[in-house]
Amino acid sequence: MHPLTSDLPLIVYIDVKSPYAFVAIAPTLALESELDMQFDWRPITLDIPSFLGSARKSKGKVVESNRSPRQWMGVKYSYKDARRYAERQGHILKGTEKIWDSSLANMGILWVMQRQRDALAAYLNAVYPAFWRRELDIEDPEVVTECLRQAGAPTEGFSTFLVDQGRAAHDELQARLHPAGVFGVPTYVVDDEILFGREHLPYVAWCLRGHKGAAPDIAYGL
Amino acid sequence: MSGLTIYIDFKSPASYLALKPTLQLLGEFDVETCWLPYRTSQRRLPEARPNETRGETHIRVREIARRDIHEKYAAIQGTPINFRDDPGQTDMALAALLHVSSDPTDFIAAAFRAYWLENLDLNDAKVVTGLLDQHGHDVSGFDQRALLDELDSQQIPIEELGVVDTPAYVHGGQIFIGREHMPWLRELLGA
Repeated sequence: MHPLTSDLPLIVYIDVKSPYAFVAIAPTLALESELDMQFDWRPITLDIPSFLGSARKSKGKVVESNRSPRQWMGVKYSYKDARRYAERQGHILKGTEKIWDSSLANMGILWVMQRQRDALAAYLNAVYPAFWRRELDIEDPEVVTECLRQAGAPTEGFSTFLVDQGRAAHDELQARLHPAGVFGVPTYVVDDEILFGREHLPYVAWCLRGHKGAAPDIAYGL
Repeated sequence: MSGLTIYIDFKSPASYLALKPTLQLLGEFDVETCWLPYRTSQRRLPEARPNETRGETHIRVREIARRDIHEKYAAIQGTPINFRDDPGQTDMALAALLHVSSDPTDFIAAAFRAYWLENLDLNDAKVVTGLLDQHGHDVSGFDQRALLDELDSQQIPIEELGVVDTPAYVHGGQIFIGREHMPWLRELLGA
């Protein structure tokens, strides 16, 4: 899988453990539905400690951290900002207690895209809101499998996929992202352009609608 | 209605590109506006190095992408932008913002232009007082040492408020960082 090419008009990179990806899901699915298109949804499993330090909380208190004060300020703002937009979408967004390994839930995206594309929206809706309410252990393969079941996707063979074909495809893709210029989520790839952040959705929509009129500036939709 | 406080930094490309949409927003609403300085951290574009860590690669790729994106939307806006190899500092111009007692909009626009188009040194008191003077602001009591001290002393309280970057818009107790929040700000100001 080449990180920047697809037969579909738009590539959307997401990670289940990213609050910013969470609040991008609804508007991106809405755009897909409105344009009656299928987007190429793909996972990035972010290595957050490598660029933002790591931390672990227990009962709301930080018990381990190697983040600088500035990194903490940025993280706090990011969560606060994502939370208010999530609330506008009718969701609850609770801060996570640790940095999760989201690779299994992210491989679920690859699985659904391969096996039952029309269950993708249902899978994302089974995983994201519950995870951000702290109701899902996304490191448990059984939990991810149950989300597939809820979404109406097949589950037979998924446990094997997680350790062979799915894991291989996932890991190969991750290794190719930085060299291609993809580093975060949500990222949109349209018309050979890489756009990081849902603030680019107005521009993405403008591209997908055929570049009619003046190109829009960045904006978060309400 | 509570007022709007806007934190900016002249060397921040995001602040520069927010100027037009912010002035447009302010033109739509009768809102008391206070422009304040906040010193951001801008860095040179990192160069690829052998054996860089995953985190260093992430930061490099991200910084390159950020610059590309700023240039892309600058073109869309019709706003010329020239990045410098070394972003330098703009503390003197930021401090001057604390000195201006009347509407600072003209000075702000001129300072952004000086940095992003004219390659002027906004850390030079002569350049900055020249800009103030050109835009009708009294420079007779311009005490650069005192203003720089005041700029320094405000940095931590601003961060404690929750401002971590610019442009930051503070209204009704909420902080919005970035012009991408214009739809929400417009909704709040119109309520």
